[in-house]
Formats: sequence, structure tokens, C-alpha cells
Amino acid sequence: MRVLESRRLLTLILFAAFAWSLSGVDWLGPMVHTGGPQSLLRFIQALFPPELSPAFLKLTLAASFQTLAYSVAAITVAVLVAVPMGLLASGVAARSARTGLPAAVAARFLLGAIRSVHELVWAVLFVYALGLSSATAILALALPYAGILGRIYADLLNDVPEEPLRALRASGASPFQVFLFGRLPMAFPDMLSYSFYRFECAIRSAAILGFVGIPGLGYQIQLSLHDILFDQVWTLLVALVFLVVAVDLWSTRVRRDLVS
Amino acid sequence: MIGRNGKNPQAEGRIPLPQASREDGLGPDPAIVVAEGICKSYPSIRALSPLSFNILPGEKVALVGPSGSGKTTLLYLLAGILQPDEGVLSIDGRPMTSVRPGRELSQLVGLVHQQYDLVPHLSVLHNVLAGRLGQWGLLRSVISLVWPRDRQMAEEALAQMGIGDKVNERTSHLSGGELQRVAIARLMMQSSRIILADEPVSSLDPARAEGLLGLLTDLVRGSDGNDGKTLIASMHSPYLIRKYFSRVIGLREGVLQFDMPSSEMTDEVSDRLYDLEQPEPALWGVGN
Ligand SMILES: Nc1ncnc2c1ncn2[C@@H]1O[C@H](COP(=O)(O)OP(=O)(O)OP(=O)(O)O)[C@@H](O)[C@H]1O
Ligand SMILES: [Mg+2]
Repeated sequence: MRVLESRRLLTLILFAAFAWSLSGVDWLGPMVHTGGPQSLLRFIQALFPPELSPAFLKLTLAASFQTLAYSVAAITVAVLVAVPMGLLASGVAARSARTGLPAAVAARFLLGAIRSVHELVWAVLFVYALGLSSATAILALALPYAGILGRIYADLLNDVPEEPLRALRASGASPFQVFLFGRLPMAFPDMLSYSFYRFECAIRSAAILGFVGIPGLGYQIQLSLHDILFDQVWTLLVALVFLVVAVDLWSTRVRRDLVS
Repeated sequence: MIGRNGKNPQAEGRIPLPQASREDGLGPDPAIVVAEGICKSYPSIRALSPLSFNILPGEKVALVGPSGSGKTTLLYLLAGILQPDEGVLSIDGRPMTSVRPGRELSQLVGLVHQQYDLVPHLSVLHNVLAGRLGQWGLLRSVISLVWPRDRQMAEEALAQMGIGDKVNERTSHLSGGELQRVAIARLMMQSSRIILADEPVSSLDPARAEGLLGLLTDLVRGSDGNDGKTLIASMHSPYLIRKYFSRVIGLREGVLQFDMPSSEMTDEVSDRLYDLEQPEPALWGVGN
């Protein structure tokens, strides 16, 4: 009962905070600058047609590949880090609560810390430390993504139905065996589809890293924007959409194969 | 103490039960389950009032009682999933509290749960093999996820349940009756001495219900090499209880109502036990 009441109170406080935050927006001031409409029109006109010269298409292809490579590498590293960290954070495979709980708290804290810093901020930090290298791009993406994935993995592993697990325990399974034959198979489809979703996000994020000078689609977009070459921007944007949609199609297929 | 500490006149006449051979001057047969004043409360309700009974090896005990009468709670206590608030529960001469969970417990008691509790995402084979986890080490379990060990044993168990063709099926694709069979096959792999089943026939049509009870009681009787097991199942149908069980324990609101040979489980007794109008739990004469 008391838990329920305090939960309601918390909901109320959060709503109040949200309402208050709305008052921080300047609703009456101009939300679009004066030259806005014309610029927007020019930008849209540039789509017909976008820049399609072979040289620029080649450049777009190379940039797309660059972005894709960074995001693949980053999501791979992120998953490799997130699986053991998520497992620790969920506390489900621990032999006893006494050892499991401190490890879970520590893992959750670490995951929270690395995901609370945005990939762009990580990128700036790594540019200072490592220069504009591939390692910078990959680490800057992999760290916050590991934080997010690890947290989600932990939650998914925790939230599987309890009854089948109880049945496994009753047939003599140890905590790790319960994890192996119960939690993991039940959580796996969701873990996989969330990882795919994060892969899509990683592509967008990899592109964004162009704004701190990391090569790829985002960097090219920035260069073209700088020269107000909107037709080139369109070509690059279409390539980005293409990448994301391709990943989406792939993940749909994998998931479908998984359930049947 | 309420309960039976001697023989089972009804069963003796029909099926030779394992304990029948012990009537030879070696003293009374040691009970496999001894409950002494066990009770269990949940925060809002007293699910079981102090309850005492003995169960002998080879007995087939039906638990009856209306919804919420504490059948599942009692089975969970027997399975070691819950611990009694008070009283002592002993299995095979040992207090339940001294039986280590895991391998040791799993060889004593196995439970088929009301909702079967299989892992829907795994294959039927893996769900059946999960019954072996108590016997397996860590490495073997990991390897078995990919290259299943004891595969033949699992296939035999499934074949015996009449669903040998479903070995590689995804468990979520099975029907309710098939799931129940898989759960029993898993229990066969566990080969515990006591088999607990929570409403094993609740979702089956009458013919299948009899088929399943036939399989369960075969399992309990044991084949040539194996000695018999003990069955405790929650049931509702008086007809099935008379046909497949040797003894019946009636519960209502956590209070023991009767404990008697299953032959005395008439429809009238059942109607009185389940009667909604009944103002307060009535006490039947205790069996024997
Ligand atoms: N985890 C729990 N927390 C609180 N109350 C519970 C819990 N489990 C069972 N109860 C309550 O204990 C009582 C006995 O429940 P139990 O599940 O043992 O009944 P049952 O005889 O198995 O009923 P059914 O035939 O419906 O399965 C019920 O009133 C139920 O609401
Ligand atoms: Mg029940």
C-alpha cells in the first residue's frame, strides 16, 4: 500500500516538473529567424535533382562506407562490453545475493556513468587524447552505447517471467544454469532486436561525429552545408537514410527467422 | 495427528503397492513425507492452517479443494519452493530445511506446475533436458545448449509421452495438452522420488485427462528395474480421483477437511467440499 502511494506521489512530482519545464520555453518570441522561409525553400528545391555526378557519388559511397564501418565496429565493441556488464548489473547469475548485489550496484553505476556522457562529448575528449583517429570514432560511440545496451540487457534479463525459472530451480539448476536455460533464451529475442535498433542509432551517431571532424557522411554533409551546396547535402542525406533503412530491413529479417 | 500410518486397504486389493511387501514384521513402513503442524500465511491471508499427515512410498494422493483452498501452497511447501511458517516437513526421514536445494532436492521431489512453466523460447528437447540440470555441471550445461547431451534419454521420455515427433519443435508452438506432456517428460528426466503435480489435467479434454493420468500413474508404479515413486496431485474430478488415486486429502480455506481412501470420494462428498453456500468449513470424519 505504502509503496503504491509513494509511487503516485513520485508520478505527481514528475508531472509537476514537466509542466514547470514548459514555462522555460519562450513561446512568444520568434521561433524561426527572418531569412528562414527563403532558405528552406532553396534547400527543398535543391532536391530536384540532388548532386549525381560520378565523382560525387563515389565520394558519397566512400563516406557511407566510412560511417558504416565506424558504427559496425562501435556496436560490436559495445555489445561485447554490454553483455558481461549487463549480466553483472542484473545480478541474476550470481551464486548468492551477498556477492551478486555489490557487483550489480557497481556495474549499474559504471554503466550509468558511461552512458550519461553523450557520444559527441566523448568524441571531443578522445580527439584531444587520440587525435582524429578511427579509435576515437569507435570508442566515442562504443562507450555510451555499451552503457545503454548494458542497462537494457540487465533489465530484460531481470524482467523475464518468474515461473519457468522457478521450475528450473526445482529441477536442481544452479543460478548460472537458470540463466543459461531460462533467462537468456527468454530475454534473447528482445536483446537482439534492441541491439539492432541501437545499431541504427549508431549509424546516425557515427554520421554526427563528422561535426567534430571525424570522416564520414556527417563530415561531408558539414562541408557541403558550409559551401551552401544543398544538392550535395541531399545526396548525402539520402545515402544516410539508405543505410538506416537497410539495417532496419536486415533486423526485421533476422527477428522473423528467430521466431519461426 | 490426522493421517494414516498403516496400510491402504483399497489399494491393497487392486494394485500391489511397493509398501505392501514391507508388512513382514519389520515394523511400519517409513513414511516418505511427514508433515507435522505445517502452516503458511501470506501477508493478507492464512493459506494453510496447521496441517499434519504422513504419506507412504507408492501412495497416489489427490489433493482436492475449491479455488484458493491452499492446494498449490501445499504443493509448493512439499517442493521446497516455499518454507512453512511453523511446523516441520520431512521428506525421506529428513527435515526439508536440511535438504540442500539444487541437486539433492531435485532428486527427492519434482513438480509439474499448474501452468507447466516451460521456457517457451527453447526447443522441446531443451526443455526436457532441463530436467537433467541438477545432474549436470556447468560446462556440460553450456555445451548442451548447442550439442545436447543425454539426447536419447529425452527422446525416449518424449516418445513415452506420445509426442516423440515434437523433439525439435519450438515449445511455444505446442498445444496445452502437449505442453503438459513435455513438462512430465522433463520430470521423468529429473527422476525424483516424489512427483508433485498441480492440476495436471485442468486444461485437457476428458479422454486426454485420462491418458495423462494413466501416464503419470505408470511413471509412479515404476517399471521392472525401478522402484516405485510417490504421486501427489491436486485434482478436481471425483471420478478421476477414484480411478487413478489411492488416497484423497480435502482442503478448504487452508483447513484439512478429510483424509481418506479415494474410494470414499463420492460425488456427494465432492459437492459438499465445493459448496459455495456452506457458511463455515465443516469437518468431515477423518479417513480410516
Ligand atoms: N504469493 C501469494 N501472495 C499472497 N497470497 C497468495 C499467494 N499465493 C496464494 N495466495 C493466496 O493463498 C490462498 C491459497 O492459494 P493457493 O494458490 O494455494 O490455492 P489453490 O487451492 O491452489 O487454488 P486454485 O485451485 O485456484 O489453484 C489464496 O487465497 C490465494 O489468494
Ligand atoms: Mg492452485
